Amino acid sequence: MTLPRALPVFAVTFAGAAALFYLAAVEYNLALFTYHPLTKQFEFLAAPQRSGPAMYWYGWIATAGLGGAAAGLLATFIPGPWAKRLWTGLAWVVPAFVILAFLYLLRVYFLR
Amino acid sequence: MITTLLIIHALLAVTLLGAITHQAVSVWLPAPAASGSFVTRFRAVPGTSYANAVVLLYAATMTLGAIIYPTYRVTVRIMLEQLRMNAANGLFELKEHFAVIGLLLLPAYWYFWRKPLDPSQQTTRAGLTTILALIVWWSFIVGHILNNIRGFGS
Repeated sequence: MTLPRALPVFAVTFAGAAALFYLAAVEYNLALFTYHPLTKQFEFLAAPQRSGPAMYWYGWIATAGLGGAAAGLLATFIPGPWAKRLWTGLAWVVPAFVILAFLYLLRVYFLR
Repeated sequence: MITTLLIIHALLAVTLLGAITHQAVSVWLPAPAASGSFVTRFRAVPGTSYANAVVLLYAATMTLGAIIYPTYRVTVRIMLEQLRMNAANGLFELKEHFAVIGLLLLPAYWYFWRKPLDPSQQTTRAGLTTILALIVWWSFIVGHILNNIRGFGS
């Protein structure tokens, strides 16, 4: 199977950008939709809880996926010589940074 | 129904844990041939052959986790909050976020486990595999701890 040459550029950019989009979505509650588990209802964008808790996790994933895909697609338009300079390590260094950021942001759970 | 899904989720997680651990060890401590001691054989697996299985198992485990998550949210989590078990809640919060990070890096992970690999990209392959392995181990252990807190039939 032959893969398009743009695939590594898309994959590396998507991994890094989507992780950053996810971090931003959680921190600023940029959920694409909200799920209300008790009433089994979906609502567009981040909505407050109604009867029972509201779940934003699915919406955060959707935001990150769309944001990462958009960034990845944009990156595929980078001219070849420039695209070759893209450091593939971004695919794991950025997610590693996001993991550390979550450890820092959620430290309050372990300090109280 | 939820209990059945939870058990399948756990079984898939065990399989995923085995596959990604084999691969992570083989990428950091490769052994030339599958002979000798148990440890040498463990290191000598052809990591490339695990990549598709890891992607499919990760996606399936995550999908099942997403399906049973609302039940956790309206039963277990509320109980943990009432009991002020903040650390347990925090462990799960980290699990849900780490699992998403793992999901989002799957396309890159899959790409860098294709053959032939440019030797200059060996570090990227190792980095992606290590992060994915750490996420899977964290998720497995935290899931196990939370299941022990609010176990079957409680």
